[in-house]
Amino acid sequence: MNDDPAALLPELLLLAGAVAGLLTGMFVPRGRQRAVAWICAAALAAALAVTVTATGGAAFGSYAPDALTQAARAVVAGGTLLVIALVAAEARGHRREAEAYVLVMLAALGSVLLAGAGDLLVLVPAYLLASIPAYALAGFGKDAPGTEAALKYYLMGAFLGVLMLAGVTLLYGLAGATGYRAAGAALALAPGAAAACAVVLLLAGLLFKAGGVPAHFWVPDVAEGAPVAVAAFVTTVPKIGALAALLRVADELGPGGWDVIVAIVAAATMTLGNLAAFHQDDVRRLLAYSTISQAGYVLVPVAVAQHTALARPAVLFYLAAYAVTNVGAFAVVAATGRGTLDGYRGLGRAAPGLGLALVVCLLGFAGIPPAAVFVAKVLVFAAAWDGGYAWLAVLVLVNTVASLYYYLRWVAVVFRGDPPAAPPPGLARAVACVAAVASLALGVGGGVLLGRAA
Amino acid sequence: MSALAWLLPATPGVAGALLALAGRRADRVAAAGAVAVTAVTLALAALAAAVRPMWGTTLVAVAAPPGGTPAGIAVDGLSAVMAVTVAAIALAVLVFAAGDLPSGAARGRFFGLMLLFTGAMLLTVTAADLMLLLTGWEIMGAASYALIGFWWREHGRVRSAGLAFVTTRAGDLGLYVAAGCAFAATGTLELAGIAQAGQPWRDLAAAGIVLAALGKSAQLPFSYWLSGAMAGPSAVSALLHSATMVAAGAYLLLRVQPLLAATGWAAVAVAWAGAVTALLLGAVALAQRDLKQLLAASTCAQVGFMVLAAGAGAVAGGTAHLVAHAAVKSLLFLCAGVWLTALGTEALAGLRGAGRWRRSVGVAFAVGALALAGVPPLSLWVTKDAVLAGVPSPGLYAVALAAALLAAAYAARALAAVWRPGTFPTAAGERRVPRAVTGPLLALAPLAAGLSVLGLPAVYAGWRQLVGAGGEPGPEVAGLVVTGLAASAVTAAGWAIGVRARQGTAWRRRAAELGQGRLAVGLRGWLGLRQGAIGGVWEPVKALAGALARFDDRVLERTGEWLADGVTAAAGVAGRRAEGLLDGVVRGAAGALGGAAWLGRGRVERPLEHLVRAVAAGAGALGRAARRPQAGQAHLYLAQAAAAFLLLAVVLMLVR
Repeated sequence: MNDDPAALLPELLLLAGAVAGLLTGMFVPRGRQRAVAWICAAALAAALAVTVTATGGAAFGSYAPDALTQAARAVVAGGTLLVIALVAAEARGHRREAEAYVLVMLAALGSVLLAGAGDLLVLVPAYLLASIPAYALAGFGKDAPGTEAALKYYLMGAFLGVLMLAGVTLLYGLAGATGYRAAGAALALAPGAAAACAVVLLLAGLLFKAGGVPAHFWVPDVAEGAPVAVAAFVTTVPKIGALAALLRVADELGPGGWDVIVAIVAAATMTLGNLAAFHQDDVRRLLAYSTISQAGYVLVPVAVAQHTALARPAVLFYLAAYAVTNVGAFAVVAATGRGTLDGYRGLGRAAPGLGLALVVCLLGFAGIPPAAVFVAKVLVFAAAWDGGYAWLAVLVLVNTVASLYYYLRWVAVVFRGDPPAAPPPGLARAVACVAAVASLALGVGGGVLLGRAA
Repeated sequence: MSALAWLLPATPGVAGALLALAGRRADRVAAAGAVAVTAVTLALAALAAAVRPMWGTTLVAVAAPPGGTPAGIAVDGLSAVMAVTVAAIALAVLVFAAGDLPSGAARGRFFGLMLLFTGAMLLTVTAADLMLLLTGWEIMGAASYALIGFWWREHGRVRSAGLAFVTTRAGDLGLYVAAGCAFAATGTLELAGIAQAGQPWRDLAAAGIVLAALGKSAQLPFSYWLSGAMAGPSAVSALLHSATMVAAGAYLLLRVQPLLAATGWAAVAVAWAGAVTALLLGAVALAQRDLKQLLAASTCAQVGFMVLAAGAGAVAGGTAHLVAHAAVKSLLFLCAGVWLTALGTEALAGLRGAGRWRRSVGVAFAVGALALAGVPPLSLWVTKDAVLAGVPSPGLYAVALAAALLAAAYAARALAAVWRPGTFPTAAGERRVPRAVTGPLLALAPLAAGLSVLGLPAVYAGWRQLVGAGGEPGPEVAGLVVTGLAASAVTAAGWAIGVRARQGTAWRRRAAELGQGRLAVGLRGWLGLRQGAIGGVWEPVKALAGALARFDDRVLERTGEWLADGVTAAAGVAGRRAEGLLDGVVRGAAGALGGAAWLGRGRVERPLEHLVRAVAAGAGALGRAARRPQAGQAHLYLAQAAAAFLLLAVVLMLVR
């Protein structure tokens, strides 16, 4: 074991940002709590910079700052940076403004730890750290829908978290070790039924964070009930950590039969998410179902991770592409403040920049080039095909085509009808535009990025 | 140094995109910013010409072949020459535009698009593979559309822009074909590798590239779009007609000259296309009554010489002609732009005495026109001869020589029209032409005159080496003397008829009669190419589409019904007449046929329609079903999740 704390600098920066933000928030008056946002943003930017320039650090026994963690750190830091701006736009002047930033930072830290955990005993606290601040955030508004959403979110998370704990206990009992690799080696010799139960129970917790079927029920309710910025956060950042963690479990724990059950889960997730989004008129629920289906696409390479080297770049690139696109779409909702599809009628003429950003994000979700998700989908498709799961690749294609329906339905509304009063320009609009540009830049520069990652 | 390679096109491209997006908010700073960016670009181009940077990347990392498709930017000698030319001309044109564009115009959009356009051209001339080349090529096409239609409130201008866009796009399809063929044959998109591709890919790629280049360069039969392209502001014409757009096609052909030579037929076809264009469009230019139209037709004709050079294997000569022509033509268009701004007319008759109004402009125009005429010792005289020296066949040479004489004639016509003594009328609404706009003219005029130094034997040897054309013949003394004398004679004659001869002399009358003739009218209408394209391609396609739609509605749909009715009727007749077994057979056949007809009637459309409706309805129902588990009650969520995970565990136990 070679313990070099510098290898954990990004995590430490996130923690320091959260703590400094909390202390500052305690002592500055309500009108000036915006300073906390700056502190958190600076911490995130520093974490991002450290991650991008790092050359790879020492490996810990239970925490692995490897390429996968690096990518998760970068995406989480970048995505959270955008979210902080969204929160700042929405919580301005709120009585507990500083708390919102701090909770976001802590949940982001939990998400990074999820991705980096190489030991079941690190995974569990990471799960709790990523979840508990998010419950509080969901109910941040203290209004009826928010409280209901928070409660459902919490009950679901607590239930599945207990299942996961049971799974971890069972795994430890079977394998006698909690490190992924050691447990994986021992698990191959364990009794089949017990091992299967342990793996599925472990999967339950991670799927809850990833928003995958059948642990997806919280997603639409939270997206609809929680404040928009919080919805953007909980449907984006924890997913990154959870999906990266799933990829690591596939790689290092590598339980037998993993590909089959994750393929089933992936197929169910993308199909169910897509179907439920049809004819959905509430944009936040629509986006929620869309995030479920997107999680399904990312689960495809997770399923075939043991069979193809293409899986890792596919997952990581998809997460980056998904993060910017999803935050961008929610930012548009935050900027317009309109909850139904009808409210977007004529947006393209009233606020061309915002309309364009929305169109870029939606077409990006649908996988239209040159947006980033297109490249990501190509990678997913290639990984599925290469991994011997042709039917899953075809299903990805069918689902992508089907998803065009509801994305284009929204796009069409944007360009039709008389323009309503333009929403006032603000931070949320800027976030939407930045995210849209980032999506295009990632899509165009995708080849270069992958060349470096490979 | 690889950064320099991509900075060269990216600097004007990104700056242009930002300016264009900023729109009217950037109006005040647009001109100064654009000129500054172009100056930086020129410096980058000069630096790139000195250090020859290369930059490579990989496209679509997961695609075949393993490791992805290499793509990149490479500045070799030919690219260096092109890049410097493009940047220099763009700088001159933008300085002019800064003074010439009306103050109320959307400057942010204009200068942004001009920069974007320049960046796209720079990308086109530095790309080492078809992917990047296509990128630049397409952006250039789109930007030219927006620039030609810059005054979009006037309907005709947008129509012209659309015509230009559709025509060049039609040609561009060839480039996609070429890219596909190159990829199929060699597995890469590198330009240099196409000449070694196997058959039939090599020939198909060559055909595609030739089609695209002829379209972009407004060679026959695509020439008409350039006539419409005059609808843009003068600065746009000056840039479009000199170092960019039309030059891009000529550049591409010069770049792939080894490929053309390898196929054999492509080189010959290209050479003839260029020579015939030079001749016919030269005649068209001579017949024009509008200065910008005359210059536009002459652009086609002069680019014809470059295309001829690519076909004849005279890469050094063709490139020299391209560079010199860029200087000459931008100069002439800028002069025409000055007069258009001052007087509001481009008609040759209305420009009488324009040359004497502001001497610096008149003299600059005279230098350009004399160079265009091929009068010694100006630039195009030498470069045209460098092209002619490489022409192998006598027939081709004769056509090209005749085209050269026509060039002298139309240049003399333009020169005489503006220098003919007369008082330059001062229109009531004349807008003051700032002195600053003559600056670029004075910078371009020495270039237009002095690029003839390329023809000095020592210089030409270096030039050949620069563009990588080793053993090509240079301009020959005999040819130089002959063409120089002939061009001078024709120009002098034109000058004598146009300026010196008094009104009413026999020569003037004869010229005027010629101008009224049917031939001249045909030529003035650009050989009817536009009408030909509209009548011969566009209208038939439209009519065919309409006819097919009607056929579908009226015939296909009803045939089935008629068939069924007919068969049933026949069965009825047969059934009445026949008895017994025969009756049964006929009835059976009729029934079968009727069934078949019923199937045929609905075979194509109705089941498809039903299928589509069924899919839509099914998807909607599935969507409702998919939302059903989302009951909104937490205990149901938990129960469902638990059940599903239990199911998963059972599956996992079974597959392990």
